[in-house]
Amino acid sequence: MAENINTRTPQEQQNTKNISPIKLELLITIVDKNKAEFYADLIQSFEVNFQFIAAARGTADAAILDVLGLDGNEKSVIFSVVRSDKLDEILYALDNKFRTIKKGKGIAVSVPFTSMIGTSVYAFLCNAADNVKGSGKNG
Amino acid sequence: MAEKSYEMIFCIINSGFSDTVMSAAKEAGARGGTVLRARGTAGKEAEELFKITIHPDKEVIMILVTNDIKDDVLKAIYHSAGMNTAGQGIAFSVPVNKTVGLSQ
Repeated sequence: MAENINTRTPQEQQNTKNISPIKLELLITIVDKNKAEFYADLIQSFEVNFQFIAAARGTADAAILDVLGLDGNEKSVIFSVVRSDKLDEILYALDNKFRTIKKGKGIAVSVPFTSMIGTSVYAFLCNAADNVKGSGKNG
Repeated sequence: MAEKSYEMIFCIINSGFSDTVMSAAKEAGARGGTVLRARGTAGKEAEELFKITIHPDKEVIMILVTNDIKDDVLKAIYHSAGMNTAGQGIAFSVPVNKTVGLSQ
């Protein structure tokens, strides 16, 4: 029989119920390969601490590429963990760059996080330095 | 920002079958996708239990579709490249909150 490892009292559980006031989302940005660093830097400027870039290729045919003004099939996918309250700001900046930069078109979509574990990881991902032990006024 | 509601379909498939998946998806209404290289990590025990061989070389295909064609695209992928085919594909969709950069 499985041992019950939850040693918190109901009151303690109630107190720790809403420990993630800042929601996180996974932002997936698909851009041309040679623009990946530029867009990663842009996203990073919005207090984004964790990103990774994966090499990819697009599958749209030549006609669609022409219509969208896209250059080729070599792509990069940027996965970024962003705060929900910063998302609109980031998407607005990305949309602006997609429309104005030559051969800088791309798409960005966001997928909400439903759960995660680790308070220090959470603080790192949402750039909440005050919540990390040993730093700031709460340390 | 887009008004339509979108879903992102992820399809994990044996390397070399992305064209099969994309053909099926396009027939069901998808416009394009993005293919990433990946490596599968299923254990030997699972392979023996389910009597299948897992190829470590994988491709992950991401296809952004509107909600109304999502089921059709998933069905098309399942029939052309599902677990019972050589592609041994697994497909699922996740809801997308917001999008930018899509031409209407």
